[in-house]
Amino acid sequence: MTNSRHDPAPEVALTRDLVIVNANGLHARPASLFVATARRFRADITVTCEDRRADGRSVMALLTLAAAEGCRITVSARGDDAADALSAICALVTEGFDDTALGDPACP
Amino acid sequence: MPLMLHGIGVPGGIAIARVRHGRDPVHAVTERAVPRSGLPAEAARYRRALALAGRQLRAVRARMPRAGATGVRAFIDSHLMMLRDPVFNDAVIDLSRARACNAEWALILQRDSLLSAFDRIEDPYLRARREEVGLVVERILAALAGTSDDGDDGMDGAICVAHALGPAEVLQLHEAGAAGFVTESGGAHSHAAIIARSLRIPAILGVRDARALVRAEDLAIIDGDSGFVFVSPDERSVAHYRTRRRDADRRRTALRSLRDKPAATRDGLAVELLANIERPGDLRAVRDAGAAGIGMYRTEVLFFSRTEQPDEDEQYAAYAKVVDGMRGAPVTIRTVDASPSPGSENPALGLRAIRQGLRDPALLLPQLRALLRAAARGPLMVMVPMVTGSAEVRQVRDLLTQAAVELDDAGIRHAQARLGAMIEVPAAALTAASIARSTDFLAIGTNDLVQYTLAVDRDNDEVDHLYDPLHPAVLKLVALTITAGRRARRPVSLCGEIAGDPRYTRLLVGLGLTRLSMHPAHLLEVKDAVTRMDAEDARKRALRILACRDARRAADLLDEMNRG
Repeated sequence: MTNSRHDPAPEVALTRDLVIVNANGLHARPASLFVATARRFRADITVTCEDRRADGRSVMALLTLAAAEGCRITVSARGDDAADALSAICALVTEGFDDTALGDPACP
Repeated sequence: MPLMLHGIGVPGGIAIARVRHGRDPVHAVTERAVPRSGLPAEAARYRRALALAGRQLRAVRARMPRAGATGVRAFIDSHLMMLRDPVFNDAVIDLSRARACNAEWALILQRDSLLSAFDRIEDPYLRARREEVGLVVERILAALAGTSDDGDDGMDGAICVAHALGPAEVLQLHEAGAAGFVTESGGAHSHAAIIARSLRIPAILGVRDARALVRAEDLAIIDGDSGFVFVSPDERSVAHYRTRRRDADRRRTALRSLRDKPAATRDGLAVELLANIERPGDLRAVRDAGAAGIGMYRTEVLFFSRTEQPDEDEQYAAYAKVVDGMRGAPVTIRTVDASPSPGSENPALGLRAIRQGLRDPALLLPQLRALLRAAARGPLMVMVPMVTGSAEVRQVRDLLTQAAVELDDAGIRHAQARLGAMIEVPAAALTAASIARSTDFLAIGTNDLVQYTLAVDRDNDEVDHLYDPLHPAVLKLVALTITAGRRARRPVSLCGEIAGDPRYTRLLVGLGLTRLSMHPAHLLEVKDAVTRMDAEDARKRALRILACRDARRAADLLDEMNRG
């Protein structure tokens, strides 16, 4: 994906390491919830998974991260409300995006 | 002429109807030069198309009834989110400007570059998400072309054959009264498949060249279980599928109506059916199934979602959510069955579960405090995994007391919680009598019990065929535990996979279990088995199965029991 148009703010980025826990990984619905959460804040959010990087405001970019269940991701936030943004995103990932069995093909 | 096509079927769906073709995908996108002066207008045109596509999706979403379809609405939401993807859309506009070309061409280029990123994704479910991107782009292209949204004209009572269908299209078809659909692309992981399963729309996906092979007005049968599409079937096939469909419908209605009926055998023995969950989000399925409570809340998910342990408050929030959500029904929460540190030779036999907890109380105490705090909100029981003796249970009780004292000192509200042990290690089953006396209840975990008893790793495909819950040794250990519980007057439940398998229901109740905990998706099937069985008959037969010399014989007797 192309780079963000704006230069990153000069403040230091806050980061958190998280693990994706929901069975189907960071698919469309979790990615949308992620972006919806990120949009509530002004901070710039980036997500890295192994050697891949995505803008936290781009659902498409997050999908190409291919963060499956068990993958470690690093979420980094830079800006005034970076701490709040990180907290909110952390809670979302921790709860497995409330991803129920609806998305599980194996479930009856 | 009759024709048989094959694809990925959505299980359970049967449709017999005439075919209609869905709207063709917008194929012919060609590059068109746009003069510099026209580029801003082109960008505006793109944004208007995005807005139109968004309105169309929101309209479909708004028509979905609230109840029961929240998961499905989420799919539309994710498409809406993609429409608003700033990085993607800015890239399209930048491309159009850079190449001085039409928005459609820039969109296709951007799409292709994104799609190639998906090709290297290994996980099949995540790779299948490339379909979403394709579908969203299709919608934008259609909006750019100004074609209308009502591709579901004339779909009432018809089987729609299309190239690909997104969640909104499936919903529109459903609203239009379509009998089912067949797509050329997609598979089990497609959103279309997931929605079809959830709304019970008969569907087959991934049928190559379906549109060329199946003509409009052909009569077709969709058999979701086998994945076959029968085109221009003969009379006998039609009659056969009519019968099957009628039986399936009857069964489904019967199961649904079972939710609010009591779970009791024909001769009046009440059986408590509980649910296993992993996170608060599972509660919806629990309520839909009408479970009498939570028989096991596995807390590992909370612990493995990050590299540091979740703190007490985070845990309390999750436990409180579950206790509150169950509205007074009992909730049993299992303390963390922690994975051993990587690199250990024999992880199943290593420092895990309660062993690790007792070795590192710093790991366990915050969880116990969180549990006692949640216990103040409703009936909560604590269950300890991998117990091998009553000493472990007593140690946990001591820690619970310590946790209570700490909470008192801090002035934090909490209440007592009953303490139970999971019987999943053979040693525990064999000494269940003594363990029972140190606990308030016992829970048999057959998944691990079978593995330990038969020395079989069910995740090892070279030996997993040896994993058999009907092995006499396993049944004996289960029976021993039940007897020990009865003698010590402690309730015994079973929360392994077989609890949710209707094939075992009569046997388990016959062995003396009246409390079973399972994945909520299986609850109604098990309840159905409970209401059809005779407990007295099951007891006699269970004794005979217990006396079997081998699993084969046991399986035969079990089948007989289920047929009777």
